[in-house]
Amino acid sequence: MWLWNKIKQLAISFRAGVVTLRYPFEPRTAPEGFRGQPVWDHTKCIGCAGCASHCPARTIFLRDICQEVRILLYDSSRCTYCGRCADLCPEKAITMSDRFELATDNRQDITQSIELFMMTCQRCGRCYDLEIKNYIDRLSSLGYRYDCLEARKVIRRSTTEFSQEELEKTVAYERPGRLEK
Amino acid sequence: MSRGEELVRWLEKELGGNLISAETVFPGRLFIDLKREALSAAAAALMNRGARYQVGVGYDARKSGQGFGLVHTFAFDKDSLLVALRTFAPEDDPEFDSLTPLIPGAGWSEREYQDLLGLKFKNHPNPRRLVLSDDWPEGIYPLRREVPHDLMPPAAEEVAFRLEEAPPGTSIVPFGPFHASLHEPAHFSVYVDGEDIKGCEYRGFMTHRGIEKLAQTELTYNDVPFVAERICGICGSVHSVNYAQAVEAAAGLRVPRRAEFIRTVALELERLHSHLLWLGVAGHLIGFDTVFMQAWRIREKIMWLAERLTGNRKTYGMVIIGGVRRDINRDRSEDIRAVLREVEREMLALEKAILKDRTIHKRTRGVGHLSREEAVKWNLIGPVARARGVDIDARRDHPYAAYDEVQFEVPLADSGDVWGTLVVRVKEVYQAIKIINQCLDKLEKLPKNEPLSVDLEGPIPASRQGLSLVEAPRGEAVHYVLTGEENRPERWRVRAPTYPNLQAVPSMLLNNKLADFPIIVGSIDPCISCTDRVLVVERRSGKARLLSRQELENLSRGKRSGR
Ligand code: SF4
Ligand code: SF4
Repeated sequence: MWLWNKIKQLAISFRAGVVTLRYPFEPRTAPEGFRGQPVWDHTKCIGCAGCASHCPARTIFLRDICQEVRILLYDSSRCTYCGRCADLCPEKAITMSDRFELATDNRQDITQSIELFMMTCQRCGRCYDLEIKNYIDRLSSLGYRYDCLEARKVIRRSTTEFSQEELEKTVAYERPGRLEK
Repeated sequence: MSRGEELVRWLEKELGGNLISAETVFPGRLFIDLKREALSAAAAALMNRGARYQVGVGYDARKSGQGFGLVHTFAFDKDSLLVALRTFAPEDDPEFDSLTPLIPGAGWSEREYQDLLGLKFKNHPNPRRLVLSDDWPEGIYPLRREVPHDLMPPAAEEVAFRLEEAPPGTSIVPFGPFHASLHEPAHFSVYVDGEDIKGCEYRGFMTHRGIEKLAQTELTYNDVPFVAERICGICGSVHSVNYAQAVEAAAGLRVPRRAEFIRTVALELERLHSHLLWLGVAGHLIGFDTVFMQAWRIREKIMWLAERLTGNRKTYGMVIIGGVRRDINRDRSEDIRAVLREVEREMLALEKAILKDRTIHKRTRGVGHLSREEAVKWNLIGPVARARGVDIDARRDHPYAAYDEVQFEVPLADSGDVWGTLVVRVKEVYQAIKIINQCLDKLEKLPKNEPLSVDLEGPIPASRQGLSLVEAPRGEAVHYVLTGEENRPERWRVRAPTYPNLQAVPSMLLNNKLADFPIIVGSIDPCISCTDRVLVVERRSGKARLLSRQELENLSRGKRSGR
């Protein structure tokens, strides 16, 4: 009995053979629909901050550095690749790519930032996108539904004129710190 | 008269004015509010009627002027009923009767709130620290509202958990926090007399990450499923589905049928890979690495399938409140069927080749034995309970998602040992395959254009309770949600299956051989990260005799060859 079992086990092992992949020497491609690193299309983004206020990892960050320029910063080091941002973007500006080999010793390698040129609405004074034909309402469409005010607080902040300081602050923003209280 | 009505009637009669309210907002759930004095009487009454204790939930209700709330939940498995008893204690006197003398399984829950909320429990037999690290300052209770979620008090030197003295005639063998046979940090101080285990003390909660606090202070309802999924490295969907169900129950949302079937498929895929993973680990722990290699090879197919279906091999990210995010269309269901056929064939072959193998029998039969009575007393759940003849399974007893529409069996064993657990888990693999196939059939018949999730019509109302169960591969997981303002839960409590099962490990270890320690602990498939929720650095006195890995291996080899 014992021997018979061992023979069966041997057969299973032999039939299976070597299954270890020769990764990383042979690349492994991601299947269709894979959720890899999100990639932003700056021509589509209208700067609504929907992605930022819904990212569970809070790793997307929007800030107005002056009345006309809004910066979107995505810091991949905290990203969980959940794809929530891509789901909620009203303009479909975000795609979940098939990139997954993201290990790096330089955070800048995996950070994306977009400068968005915004217009000021003559009525309400809020910024909206200039180049794409859009209603100002779309800015608050998908993303902001029942959103919590607390999370929004850190995302939208405008200054009336261009400030180098704000720009530096935004670029040097280190997400893993704490949310402003 | 149903069990629920009968209970309410009895409570009205016996407790009189001490019963504040009893309501069934959601079928199969009974939420009872009591005065504090009546808590133990009501709990005793439930236990006498055959209830199974699940978990305690403490929360800070000072904002609404109610002091501290404490909820104990009980399950009537035969009647598909869950009962939650809620009481409040004023802020200046946060003391409750301890249920532990009556229900040993309540011990941890109560110690947890003693640490995290500063509640006090009268007559608790072992009121020591459980969750917080040893150098956490006295008087800071992390779950209280005024404590920020990212508070980091400075570490203190020279504090250590006071482990108990070994009983006379025994010496201590420490296992963990880091040990070759433990996959996650936990410390067992095992008392041995020669090679026989005479007792054990557990100190865990070293991977407490404060997830519940985070959800209650920073995240929003729809962020939580993605964090919940990361509670556990194996059963992610279990927690995200469970959380979503609890919120949906509280908010009164109806999830589209299609979404429920897809959730069921995700849950069962998870069960498949978890059972195969465990089978591999169990094989490895008893030194039978063929099982390890082959079980994991079969498992990999399921991981890749999950990657194709959901976009990731483990963190499926399928669940949001009100439904799911991705569909399973016909192509994908063909893909699933093909993989399942292959897994079933390979699994049968593997089962035939190993289940009669003497190695396994020698190392698992009679090991970690616990009687059915003990298992019931400790509220064991999942395959660990089913291996001891306790016939419970949340999928059948409290159907959720689409389990009310699928047929399956609940395998049982009565040997009461590690062997029984193994048999149960192997049999469950086939049941999971059966369930997935049924779900796919039904999915194909459902209208294609049904939405995958419902839209929230407005904010979720505050102060509603939701309670949900999901049968995780290791046993039932319980989520309790109290809805709050600002689009986030006021309280979210996760009870992973390891929580009750681990409490019974000392009893399982009793009178076993030291060499069987790894497989006994392994047999409950402990998921320490799920169970723990503050990082503890533990310093132990160097008194204990350390057993090197080599010694341990020799011991286990000696046992295996029957010497
Ligand atoms: S994938 Fe998820 S974690 Fe990453 S940026 Fe998008 S929403 Fe945030
Ligand atoms: S949600 Fe889309 S449009 Fe809005 S800021 Fe993000 S990427 Fe831009």
